[in-house]
Amino acid sequence: MLIELENTIKIYNQGKPNEVIALKGIDLEIEDNTMICFQGASGSGKSTLLAIIGCVFPPTSGRASIAGKKLSRMPDRFLTIHRREKIGFIFQQFNLLPRLSVLDNITLPLLPLGISPHERKTRARKLMNQLSISHKENFPAAQISGGEMQRVAIARALINNQPIILADEPTAHLDSALSIEFMQIMVDLKESGKTVIIASHDSLVSEHPAIDKIINIKDGRIHVP
Amino acid sequence: MLPKGLEKQINILDFSLMSLWRRKLKNLGIMFVFALVIFLLGSFQMLTGALTNSAQAVLKNTPDITIQKMSAGRQEAIPLAHAEKLHSIYGIRAIIPRVWGYYFDESKLANYTIMALEHDSMPYGNNLNLTLAYGHFPKKTEIGKAVIGRSVHDILGLDKRRIFSLFRPDLTLKSFEVIGVFSQQTDLLSNDLIIMNLTDARDLFHIPELMATDICVYVTNPTEIETIAKKIAGLLPDTRVLTKSQIQKTYQVVFSWRSGLASICLLTALAAFAILAWDKASGMSPEEKREIGILKILGWETGDILAVRFWESVLVSVLAFLFGCTGAYIHVAFFDASLLKPIMVGWSVIYPSFKLLPSVTLADLLLIFTFSVLPYLGATVIPAWRSATVPPDSAIR
Amino acid sequence: MFLNSWSLGLTLAGLIILALGVFACRTAVRILRYWNPQSDSNLQIKLENEIWLASTLVEYGLGFQILSVVLFVLAADTFCQVIVGAMCATGALLANSYGMPALLVKLAGIFVYGFWIVLHKLDISSETYPLVRIKYIYLLFILPLLVADITLQTLYISFLSPDIITSCCAVVFGSSDKTGPNLLEGFSQATTIFLYYGTVIALTAMGYLLLKRWLVLLAALFSAGWIWFLGLAAIAIITVFSSYIYAMPYHNCPFCILKPEYNYIGFALYFTLIPASFFGLTTVLVEPFKTMNNLAGAVEKYQRGAISFSLILLLLLTALSSYHFLLYRISGGE
Repeated sequence: MLIELENTIKIYNQGKPNEVIALKGIDLEIEDNTMICFQGASGSGKSTLLAIIGCVFPPTSGRASIAGKKLSRMPDRFLTIHRREKIGFIFQQFNLLPRLSVLDNITLPLLPLGISPHERKTRARKLMNQLSISHKENFPAAQISGGEMQRVAIARALINNQPIILADEPTAHLDSALSIEFMQIMVDLKESGKTVIIASHDSLVSEHPAIDKIINIKDGRIHVP
Repeated sequence: MLPKGLEKQINILDFSLMSLWRRKLKNLGIMFVFALVIFLLGSFQMLTGALTNSAQAVLKNTPDITIQKMSAGRQEAIPLAHAEKLHSIYGIRAIIPRVWGYYFDESKLANYTIMALEHDSMPYGNNLNLTLAYGHFPKKTEIGKAVIGRSVHDILGLDKRRIFSLFRPDLTLKSFEVIGVFSQQTDLLSNDLIIMNLTDARDLFHIPELMATDICVYVTNPTEIETIAKKIAGLLPDTRVLTKSQIQKTYQVVFSWRSGLASICLLTALAAFAILAWDKASGMSPEEKREIGILKILGWETGDILAVRFWESVLVSVLAFLFGCTGAYIHVAFFDASLLKPIMVGWSVIYPSFKLLPSVTLADLLLIFTFSVLPYLGATVIPAWRSATVPPDSAIR
Repeated sequence: MFLNSWSLGLTLAGLIILALGVFACRTAVRILRYWNPQSDSNLQIKLENEIWLASTLVEYGLGFQILSVVLFVLAADTFCQVIVGAMCATGALLANSYGMPALLVKLAGIFVYGFWIVLHKLDISSETYPLVRIKYIYLLFILPLLVADITLQTLYISFLSPDIITSCCAVVFGSSDKTGPNLLEGFSQATTIFLYYGTVIALTAMGYLLLKRWLVLLAALFSAGWIWFLGLAAIAIITVFSSYIYAMPYHNCPFCILKPEYNYIGFALYFTLIPASFFGLTTVLVEPFKTMNNLAGAVEKYQRGAISFSLILLLLLTALSSYHFLLYRISGGE
């Protein structure tokens, strides 16, 4: 099993007056090479769940095993190292650095890995070709269109060849044509062997035929209708 | 193939450069202010260094021991007979009478220092010629010849002419032929100097034969200077005995004291700068915070962000250091430290102008580095750490 | 003698290092009190972040300390111009009884901070941070050293007065004259040279063997050998090599070789000798941590690196120190 959560609980500000229980015991199994959609209103704990699967922080209690690593309380450093090897992120606002060029944005995850500029360029160009954004290589990220930004974000999530792709509301800022295009890229990724997890309440995503499973999250728990 | 760790640091350095460049207005501003502080510090250090060097270049040739006759607490002419008494002291190499005094040129409103000694009977006397830009010191037999300092040459308006005249006390004229001019290196002490023969000096000042203003003693073994000085003082109770090291150390103490005082003033400027640096570094904009959050979620460790901040600080401070030091060197070497000279050199009023030749050593640079880069790096550690510990989830909230 | 830019520079550097140390120790106290790896509380997350602060502060402190040692020696070299009888740093450092202790404490500081950083690097290589307690108790012991350092330095500067007559290096280290106590009398040149090169060969052999096959006893011998070599090399530099560098048979001084007249060769010698000894010495010092949780791999990696690094530096040092010596021997004294 690629991802296994068992009674996973996440509490923010534990023991403080502003304590928030974001996840109240999640049990979840996700297999390798599948495409999953998370649904849930904002505040449902969807983002927290995504963050735990994305190894951004460990759960407060419960078991969580992500791509072969048990997440318990551990120093941030080891989560980071695991995260950069296994997880590619695509964010709602794309989260590009606006003043860096497209190329520099795509290669950001490779810098702390000590990968040479030459190799970085080779890898990024291959991806830019696949995603047909090569012509924008040296443009600052602030000066390209929304669709192109999305592709740059995808390229960045793939640059280190991570097996899991996490996307948080990826189509929120795209029109329907671009959203369909985005889903097509995701389908291609799944076919190439990756596991794709998308959190979205866009019907274009949840009703897409390639989605293997929809998981509903409500009030910090998985909701089975 | 470079090792991974090194390649990583190069990558991070590269990113830091880009990141500095993206905020060039802010960073160039800080760098400019910083370079200015370093410029002032550096000018000071190099100026004191240059002054000490010039003083030492000249003091190297001062006699080991100088004897002056004192009367009623004031110096007066010393009879050469005093010198005879010293022959009994073992270890003295040479005894040379010297005449020196000031000459006020009423037409030019300038003060010259006149010095006369038999340089050919001095040990290493011929080395003195090395302090000249050209020419040689007047020999015992060369009557009416003089060596002059560079500004004397200018004030007298000699240009290519070689003859000038000075008044004796009875207002009769005595003329001299210039046979040499001092070089720039010794400007500090030789600028207003006129060197002549003992006979000429006695003639000019109307000092009787067999008298001098002081007597210079050269010693064979430098470690015995103090002992011999004590013996001389015992033999000639009506005299003041000065040793070379006393004179040198007096200079040194004055210079270092002044530069120390100046450093304290500059430290205030530095403290103000450190506060500015702290403030600039700790004021994190939401945009910066978001950027760090993104980097962290993309797999940058806290240590990597710390490295980015470290390289940024190093780049800013080292560039500012290079600019500041280069500026200071130019300021001291080509503009005679014109901004600072009035503070450092009290006698600059008497000495109309002199050229400074800064010799910058590794030690000087290290000192300037300690005064500037160290506090800057120190002041930016904690803000750098604050920004590096932005949690990664701040990018997905 | 405080009103001097060197004194002020040293004091400034000392204060900055002390400030960094105090901040690091504040973290150490907090971690020793509240560290709880199982907790998910905000405090624990804060403490994990503060570990980074402490390590950065000590790393900066080490860098500044190295600078401060160099500055101290150069300052002494400048002070000698105002101290009667002193002709180089040796005289200035011996001008009162605080000079040499200050220098030694500063040098010890480099080893102590350096070793802390080694511990830190080992510690953060394991997810459980097994050395956390040891590391921060150790950090608390650094603070007294820092205080001793700045106190000795301040005492040295404040008791330094231009009137005191001191001895120059010719008297202290010289072998010819009978003018005063000679610190290193009784060390014959031939014996020193023999021991020096003998130790170089022995260390290289031991290091090579250790890289092939790890033996704890041999490692202990190797590290002990480095302590012996550090002292021996210092004596060899003073009594033998320096006079060949100066090309003057009776000029034996450990500091004058730092001057620009001799192409700063002293810096090259000391900057290879000290790190080499550091790595050589720490090879066995990290051995006890091998048994700790998940640390065996990291410790072994460090040991291999440290041995290789110390051997490379040793080779460099041998070449650098022998250069003038051999040049003189081969050219027959010209």
